[in-house]
Amino acid sequence: MSGAWRLLVDDGVGAAEGLALDEALMGRYARGEPDCPPTLRLYSYRSHCALVGRYQNLAAEVDLAACRRTGTQVSRRLTGGGAIVMGSGQLGVAYVDRAPAGERPREIIEKLSAAIAAGLAQLGIAATFRGKNDLEVGGRKIAGLGLYVDPADAMLFHASVLGDLDVEFMLEVLRIPAAKLADRAAAAVTERLTTVSAETGNRHDAEMLRAAIAGGFAVSFGVTLEPGVADQTELAQADVLAAGRYRSQSWLSVRSVAEDASGSAVLKTPAGLARIYLTTHGDLVKSAMVAGDFNELPPAIVAMEAGLRWRRLTDDAIAAVVAGSGAADALGVPAERIASAVLEAGRQAGRSASPEPTGAAGPPEVPEPS
Amino acid sequence: MEQAGHLVVAGFPLALDRRYHVGTHMWVLLSEPGQARIGMDPLGIETSGTLAELSFVPVGTELIAGRPFGQLEAAKFVGPLVSPVSGIVLAVNDAAAIDAALTVRDPYGAGWLIEVSLSDAAGELPALLADPDEITTWFAAKIADYRRMGVIAQ
Repeated sequence: MSGAWRLLVDDGVGAAEGLALDEALMGRYARGEPDCPPTLRLYSYRSHCALVGRYQNLAAEVDLAACRRTGTQVSRRLTGGGAIVMGSGQLGVAYVDRAPAGERPREIIEKLSAAIAAGLAQLGIAATFRGKNDLEVGGRKIAGLGLYVDPADAMLFHASVLGDLDVEFMLEVLRIPAAKLADRAAAAVTERLTTVSAETGNRHDAEMLRAAIAGGFAVSFGVTLEPGVADQTELAQADVLAAGRYRSQSWLSVRSVAEDASGSAVLKTPAGLARIYLTTHGDLVKSAMVAGDFNELPPAIVAMEAGLRWRRLTDDAIAAVVAGSGAADALGVPAERIASAVLEAGRQAGRSASPEPTGAAGPPEVPEPS
Repeated sequence: MEQAGHLVVAGFPLALDRRYHVGTHMWVLLSEPGQARIGMDPLGIETSGTLAELSFVPVGTELIAGRPFGQLEAAKFVGPLVSPVSGIVLAVNDAAAIDAALTVRDPYGAGWLIEVSLSDAAGELPALLADPDEITTWFAAKIADYRRMGVIAQ
């Protein structure tokens, strides 16, 4: 690939408006439209927006009361993945193009992730695409990723790069397992996430991060990026989508066939009790976290948590992840007992009722139509 | 994932009793005259990411080759299930829509996706791989490609 791509830059966008423009940009890449170079949009949301993945249960993932209290807007992405908080500290990446014929989703995600990793490398950060799910630095997530291809073959790749992160705020508005750990919640998150600020030791510089990521794409694909703007057709379509989809209750209320659920199990270790928390979607593990009285979270535990994500809850699959992670040595417990505890947490999740109460939450904070 | 009656190529089962669309990894198994069952081969499933959900267009929908007949949700991907043939949807696999793991466990059998009445069998079927040797060669080459690119496990 070579030539010039269109580069769009904008900041402080609302939840619905930001997602609507991303989708509107896909229009020129639909089957039957004339060929045109890809668009790369590097942007930030207003502080703050909570965005859930395509098929997540909004009320299960986001504390809607906390969102109303803090003025946090909410909406739902086209892409999959988990709930995220976006604001001035996080860089949104939207790459839009026609889906390349014959390329598989994992190939596409891997190539585009490599461009983001190349950008982070310009800041001295060695990020890797471990586990095929997220970009990580030393086992800690620094960017989330997602890919959507529409029925007309237009493609949207989303990423959220953590320039900086207000962990306390994230724990306030998102319902994540770490929030159950009370006084250790923030520590539990920072043991599993990292940011550009944390890695470089510098204050978050949004423009520097944006320039680095742009550079990563330019170098990886051998292209130049020409600053541009969304055209009138795209802006008009974005307005329609913001009102008709991204602010609509029907879109916010999308539920999937299999409900997300959560469960936990206790594991006795020589150092005391540890608890394994799982969030599941049907028979898949969506997230895993081990909480215990660790002075420092062992890397093997982080590896096991990462390995469990998006695994099916079968004896063989879980046993293989646990055995390969080194968690048995780290915890001083046979791998079989750890795997058994993971499966028990999964069974508990399977037995749990509706994921989180939704009735008392009331309507989410949605931006007023402009 | 090994199944009786299927070849295993570099760790992936391969059924040789059907045709394959190489761009989408969809298989087409002719059943009654003018009818076919469609599914996705295990390489297509694996390279989509961890499969989470499947949804299908309603029975009776007219399909066009190269256009969607449903949607796939995987760990990091949401996108269309693309039909390798044109026709009318006769049936969809509700069991796979309820439990996508069925398609992972048994991609050539109980994990089928839709059944179709073909509208252009003579025109479209020749474009699919049907020769067992060609299928095996293609499948092995794709596994090698995907492993080299790191998109499937070694």
